Amino acid sequence: MKNRYAVRFYKDGNIRYISHLDLLRLFKRTFKRAGIRLQYSQGFNPHPKMSFAQPLSLGYSSSSEYLEFETQNTYSTDVIAEKLNSLMPEGLGILSCEELPDKEKSLAAMTEAADYEITIPVDDSLEIENTDLLREYISQDQIKVMKRQKKSGRKIEINIKPLIYSISVDRRGNCIMLEAKLAAGSVSNLSPELVLTTFCEFTDISYDRATVAIKRKEIYFIK
Amino acid sequence: MTLSKQLDKLLMRAEKPGRYIGGELHTEKKNPAAISTRFGFAFPDTYEIGMSYLGLQIIYHILNKMESVYCERVFAPANDMENLMRKESLPLFTLETKSPVKDLDILGFTLQYELSFSNILNMLNLGGIPYRSAERDASFPFIAAGGPCAFNPEPLADIIDFFMIGDGEDILPQVCKAHDRWKESGKDKDEFLKSLIEINGIYVPKFYTPSYYEDGQLKAIKKNYDKAPDRIEKQIVENLNQAEFPQKTIVPLIETVHDRAVVEVFRGCTRGCRFCQAGMIYRPVRERSKETIKQIAARQLEETGHDELSILSLSTSDHSEIEPLVEELMSVCKDNNVSLSLPSLRLDSFSFKVLQEIQGYKKSGLTFAPEAGTQRLRNVINKTITDADIYHGIEKAIELGWTNIKLYFMLGLPTETFEDLDGIVEIAKNITDINYRITGKRGRFNITVSVSSFVPKAHTPFQWHPQDTADVFLEKQLYLKDKLKKIKGVSYNYHGTDSSYLEAVFARGDRRLSEVLIKAVTLGCKFDSWREHLKYDLWMQAFRETGIDPNFYAHRERTYDMVLPWDIIDSGVTKEFLISENNKAIQETQSPDCRLHCIGCGINQKAECTMGERYEE
Ligand code: SF4
Repeated sequence: MKNRYAVRFYKDGNIRYISHLDLLRLFKRTFKRAGIRLQYSQGFNPHPKMSFAQPLSLGYSSSSEYLEFETQNTYSTDVIAEKLNSLMPEGLGILSCEELPDKEKSLAAMTEAADYEITIPVDDSLEIENTDLLREYISQDQIKVMKRQKKSGRKIEINIKPLIYSISVDRRGNCIMLEAKLAAGSVSNLSPELVLTTFCEFTDISYDRATVAIKRKEIYFIK
Repeated sequence: MTLSKQLDKLLMRAEKPGRYIGGELHTEKKNPAAISTRFGFAFPDTYEIGMSYLGLQIIYHILNKMESVYCERVFAPANDMENLMRKESLPLFTLETKSPVKDLDILGFTLQYELSFSNILNMLNLGGIPYRSAERDASFPFIAAGGPCAFNPEPLADIIDFFMIGDGEDILPQVCKAHDRWKESGKDKDEFLKSLIEINGIYVPKFYTPSYYEDGQLKAIKKNYDKAPDRIEKQIVENLNQAEFPQKTIVPLIETVHDRAVVEVFRGCTRGCRFCQAGMIYRPVRERSKETIKQIAARQLEETGHDELSILSLSTSDHSEIEPLVEELMSVCKDNNVSLSLPSLRLDSFSFKVLQEIQGYKKSGLTFAPEAGTQRLRNVINKTITDADIYHGIEKAIELGWTNIKLYFMLGLPTETFEDLDGIVEIAKNITDINYRITGKRGRFNITVSVSSFVPKAHTPFQWHPQDTADVFLEKQLYLKDKLKKIKGVSYNYHGTDSSYLEAVFARGDRRLSEVLIKAVTLGCKFDSWREHLKYDLWMQAFRETGIDPNFYAHRERTYDMVLPWDIIDSGVTKEFLISENNKAIQETQSPDCRLHCIGCGINQKAECTMGERYEE
């Protein structure tokens, strides 16, 4: 019998500027401080059994991230959530904790999609008709991007349209808000950056990446 | 727009935004409006380096315990961030409240190495603060400095308002209290500086005027304010065991150079190496007891969740209870999945036993620092390790399966000849032979010989010696290269000498160098301790344009009767002692370790020294 759990947490504010590796170290220390002993891997360089469902890019906020881990002892999920939450720094908070079945695959292996919210500040004078714009963008046969292949380093053209499961656009004040459900996980994955660039290119919207906010709102798993 | 808002825009563009966000575990939140002394602890290098420095944690903890004080941290932004900040006119800020440093009452820099001086000036500039003390009116914070390089404060004398000399634990609270009182009084800036000199260890450069002979030699540093002390005695924390030590240390959110729990186990060193400034200025040796160390370590691990523990001192093996201490710490660590790191262990049989038990050591290799290649030169520098010690240790290491040996030496030590360099080659050669004798193989065994360039330092017996010139260094480096490359399995590390030369200039410089520093920073010098950032040509241009000859500081042979710029600072070790040690060096004779025999350095006139003849007891 393993003690497998997953916590769902949010990441917001300045702490979104730490990488997922830093976040992993933070959780590792937090478990230690909470007195929750993690299970360690065997071998010469043992490391705690703990991983994210899906790493979150530097600078993104999220209202729903998942960390799974294995502990040496059994705990009630409330105790875990409470203990961890009391030790979280500003910008991080535990939303819930669940037990995971023994035999199931890792959350990372089960991740299939994620919701993103992309907020693009634009010029007040920019006049756009939301629905038209979006309809045109998404009704393209193909949405092509150049992507560098990991192995060969060569650039190839890929069509990202099938990886966009749904998308909507909204104008709020001087921002354009894109909400999209995108493929995520190890099988196929689409970065919201590519949606941002292709959308803005297609609609001719000029933007400053440093002022665009991207938030992950949910992660979906294979049932 | 508030600074925080402005900053937010830059963080998206910065290479490592995590350096600038603050909000780490155990950082302090206070309301600046309710504070009478806002203190900025400034580390003149990047976040990752500054946060690895234990002194920061100690001072941060001590100052923030005071109700009237808020200590915040300030680091040098990396070049990419600095450019963004300058473009968007974002001033240098504190990590805690994102306040411009200009809003602080005192901005205190820690001086850990000379090559960070340019960063201090650059940071002032980024904060909108004029370089020179004389140009700062009451609207600017007081600029202070402390740390080892404050033992020769003169190169920064025109820039820093006051220096704090010696241990920081007590002097910083005293300074802040004096500031509270001064602020209450509403008096002018000078009155604060005048009130400070009542505190032991404070040097206010504007109360002193240097004069020079025609040939450029320093004639005297005379007081121009009669109440100022003739010499500034360093502050000493006599009882380290009872001194404050943080348990809730700040835990960085991003990876830093040293990411671990640390306990300082003792301060000072009894070995008396003649080149070593730390060994002279941190006297006398003061220990924390085994129980105190264990208790601090356990609490720190609990409070931080770190998975590595390290103990800190100049020579770990010399702690009076080292064996039980290490054994007990090892068991604490084992129980908690924490790894123990033990720097600067002397390689005796106990250390080998310990290293065997601590996993991962073999991979990183075994380090020896004989510093000099022959017994003669080791006598000169008072390094007690003998050839027999080295070979014995190596034999043991090879028998235990180590395949990676690192050897550290210094080039340019006083009296060094090519015979001493041959000694280095011989040591490397002999070690490969020992390996062959034991393992029967020549392959899969590597020795790394690293040489550094000797920099004579103030307050050491070698403070009168010239530094080797760049040509001589290069000749010696290449001589070694030529000989070492003939030995199979030996790799050789040496570096350009530009940075050691600059370090030598500032380590024994005088007040005239303040001008050079300002010039160099205006030309664009910063991050000089980073090989990739050091702009040596600009430095030379700064010397030329200010009409100051750097060789005067680096290459000149000084005589005992000369006035030295750092004579104004009393480290507790007497000049007579330094002279006698230097004379013994020239005669190639060693002095004993304090624990065998007190050799009268003078520190026991200032504070209790429990070291002399410890072994006799
Ligand atoms: S007073 Fe004597 S024992 Fe103490 S540090 Fe000085 S030389 Fe060593």
